[in-house]
Formats: sequence, structure tokens, C-alpha cells
Amino acid sequence: MDWILLAELSANGVFVGLMYALVSLGIVLIYKTSGIANLAQGAVAMTGGYVAWALGARAGLPIWLAVPAALAGMFVFGLLMERLALRRMIGQPIIMTIMLTLGVEIMLRGLLPGIFGASVKRLDIGIPQDPLFLGDLLINRATLIGGSISLALIVLSLLFFNSRFGVVMRAVADDQTASWSVGIRVERAVGVAWGLSAVAATAAGVLWGSNQGVDWSLSLLLIKALAIAILGGLDSIPGVLVAGVIVGVAESLATGVLDPLVGGGSRDVVAAVIILVTLLLKPHGLFGRHHIERV
Amino acid sequence: MTLLALNNIEIVYDQVFLAVRGVSIEVPEHGLVALLGANGAGKSTVLKSISGLLKPERGAVTRGEISFAGRSILNVDPPERVRLGIVHVLEGRRVFGHLTPKENLIAAATMHRDRGHVSALIDRMFETFPRLAQRAKAESGYLSGGEQQMLAIARALMTEPRLLMLDEPSLGLAPFLVDEIFDIVRQVNQRDGVAVLLVEQNATAALEIAQYGYLIENGRILMGGEAAVLSANPDVADAYLGGHQKVDYHAVKHYRRRKRWLA
Repeated sequence: MDWILLAELSANGVFVGLMYALVSLGIVLIYKTSGIANLAQGAVAMTGGYVAWALGARAGLPIWLAVPAALAGMFVFGLLMERLALRRMIGQPIIMTIMLTLGVEIMLRGLLPGIFGASVKRLDIGIPQDPLFLGDLLINRATLIGGSISLALIVLSLLFFNSRFGVVMRAVADDQTASWSVGIRVERAVGVAWGLSAVAATAAGVLWGSNQGVDWSLSLLLIKALAIAILGGLDSIPGVLVAGVIVGVAESLATGVLDPLVGGGSRDVVAAVIILVTLLLKPHGLFGRHHIERV
Repeated sequence: MTLLALNNIEIVYDQVFLAVRGVSIEVPEHGLVALLGANGAGKSTVLKSISGLLKPERGAVTRGEISFAGRSILNVDPPERVRLGIVHVLEGRRVFGHLTPKENLIAAATMHRDRGHVSALIDRMFETFPRLAQRAKAESGYLSGGEQQMLAIARALMTEPRLLMLDEPSLGLAPFLVDEIFDIVRQVNQRDGVAVLLVEQNATAALEIAQYGYLIENGRILMGGEAAVLSANPDVADAYLGGHQKVDYHAVKHYRRRKRWLA
């Protein structure tokens, strides 16, 4: 067994996993405040990538301006999604709400390539592509930088949840009626959660888009994000970090170790296997919130 | 001066189920009013109509008028009503279980912009409720029932209300804790001048601290009066206070005492 190769695969897997985790951060944000699994997260990431590309290539903005503008625009997109679609579903069965988000996912997957053309768009955010050697390990510079940015954003969101507004969002997650009773504007908190989730998705979409180009396949990030969210426990941000790294490393090792044996394609099975195994063995995930019950 | 006035309100759930009809209640400024009645009489429903929390339960006020400080509040959102000065401590305490007591208090201070003011309020709450200060770092879901009730009241007081509505604060608590909670309610009412509307099944305790009481049954107000007058009323005493006199069971007849007020 080639240990250098394994170490290299694991190291790269960690950074890729962190980049996946950024997508599932959005799923967790929404689940924490409103208890809905947002299945549109992959398409929102894709939309973010398209918007950043369109602002840069079509509107001619420099990239350092196009990306923040895309993040701001997608925050509004998230707010509108909650305001126009999700808020109408209050009081409806939860399965209908989840189906609605799935519908949004499918619609965006068709709509954006329809508008901008189906060819792969090149989104260059200035990360040099040349490889980087750490000792003997060959590290992909793009995923290293992307993973570090993702890590920073996830840590930032952890800090956010301890701020005053973050405490209010956690209160809303705990008990919406009680939140109303002490004057918390629940709808606004949920809206902000959707906005922030769209921002996280956009950041992920831009990072992945700069890596592999922007096209509809960015929305496939949904599967990895779901695997991470479920393994992490759906409502835990530290869970997203740990689960992201696990999924990233597992995929990377599967590519390096299993692919030569089975002839390729094992990377995409890993996320599905992780979802299945988690749900069977530990449905609340690694860090899922315990249910407090006093006796 | 009347702070809160309910005028002949009717409350309907799901557009069909009539829960409360023709209820009129007044709470004076700085007053302490008790709303008494048995299970399912409509007490909680009345409170929810005042705080605006009927909507998530698909209830609505279909007739009548609710005014607070001289202004109709029927079209005001629940968070705005809190900003006007109405706060509702829900039945069953409903603290934010995964937050610490301190975070519970912070979460209830969204209407205060000034951080210094918020931390001053928190300090005052911990002074009033020293038990909470001891457990400030624990998850609130693990506090005892009495501590959770105190936290629920402290959380409500963070909004600096003019009217504090308490729904069954004594529910499921040991008698000495009930006394402690009621002492606090009295203190809030007398020291801070907050008007209190108290919903209770424990009529004895409630009438002891209230100045005025209403009796509600089957969604209707049966009687209202000074607390002393209510507790002296023999019917109230029999039905809600556990009887005044010793009963000679040989003389008890086999039909129930006629409730004159229902005629």
C-alpha cells in the first residue's frame, strides 16, 4: 500500500469535504430555524454560481465586485423564496413544504441553463491552478483555498449563533409560539435564515464553479450536502464540519482505492451509502440535537 | 384608569368551534385581576386573544372589541402587541429548552436596542430570581419546574410590560413553590406597578393576591367582583374553593346543588 498516496488523498479529501460542508451549512441553518429540510439547496448553489458568472462575464463587473454582488443578490433571493413560496405553506403538512423545495430545485435546474445556455461557463476567481507541494504531498491549490474559505465561513456562522441575533434564531428554532409571546418577529428570523443559507450556497457555488465550471451539474452538490447534513445531525454546525470532512475523505479514498478495483464511479456512491447507513444506524446523526425530556 | 378592556368578545376556532362568547373583562392600570374557572372553560383562549396567539391555533376573534391603553389591538401582530406592553406567559412554561437561562432572557429583549439596558435588565432579573442566577449556565430544559416557571416570568418581564398575563403559573408545582411564585407576582405588581391578569385553577391562592376576580365557565363570564366578595360567595366557595363549612353527609341530598347563576 502506498502511504503517500493515501495521505495525499485524505488531505485533499479534507478540503473537498469542507467545500461540500459549505453547501450543507445552508441546509442546517434553515433546519435549525424552521424545521424544514431545504432540498433546493443544490440548485441555489448553482444559481449563485450562474449569477456571479453573469455579473462578471455578461455585465462586465470585475470579479472582486461580481462575487460580493452575487452574494448580496442571493441573500435577497433567499428572502424572497421564503416570503413568496415558503410562508404560504405555514400550517400545511411538512411533506408538502419539502416537496415545494424539491420543485424549486428542479425548476431552477431547468431555468438557469435555459436562460444562459447549457454550455459550461468558466468562472475565474483568481485562484492559481498550479499544484502545491507540502512535503511529499501534492495538494490541489484550488481545493485548499476553497476549503479554507469554507472553513472560515462555517466558523463565522458558529460565532454568529452566539451573537444576540443568533440567540434569537435559536429561540425561534426551539419554540415558535413562545417566541411570538415575547415579541420575537419569527417570520423575520426565518427569512434571514433563508437569506443566509442562500449566501452560504452561493459561496459554495462560486468556489465549485471556479473549480469545475458553472453548469447545471453544480446542483448535484445537493446529494453531498444532504449526506453531510444527515450524518452531522441536521441541526448542528460542528456536525457539518466533522461530517463534511468524513464525507470528503471517504469519497477521496474511494476514488483512489476502490476505483482501480471496480473500474471507476465509486465516488458518487459514497454519499448515498453514507445517507443510508446513517439513517439506519443513527437517525439523529453524529451531533443531532437531543430531545430534552424531564421526568 | 382602564388599561385593558375586552368588550363582549366571541372567539371561534377553525371557523366552526365556538370557544368563548360574550366575555367582557377589564384590567385597571396597576391592577391585579384573576380569571378563574375549571378545565376547558376558555380561560387560556381569552388570554391568547389578548396576546394575539390565537392565529397559530387557527382561532379568531369574530365579534367584540379588545382595546389596550385606549386603542383597539385586534389588527395588531403578536410581536407588536408585546411592544405595546402586553406579555403572555404561556401555560406549561414553554422556556427555550436548549438555551441557557441567560440566553432565554436575551432572546426576549429584541425590542431593546441598547445593549447596556439589556444587561441591566438581566442583572435585575437575576436579583429578583436568585435561583436562576445559580443555574445561569445550565440548559433551561433541565431546570426544575419551579425554576422554569420563574424563568418564564423573568423572560416575560424582559419586555418591560405594562400588562403581564400569567396562564396557570402554579401548574404542577409544589405548594411552597406556588407561594414563592405568587409572592413574586405580587411584588412585580406592587413594586413595579405592572398590571397583572392571572389565570388560575388554584382559586384560593389567586383570590388571596388579586383585587378583582372573574369566574368563567363554558366560555362565559358567570360573575365578576371584588376578590373578597367572590371568595365570600357560597357558590364560589363550594365550587372552586373546596367548601366553607363542614358538611353533614347524612343531610346531603342526592341531587346536585342547583347553580343559580345558570338559570
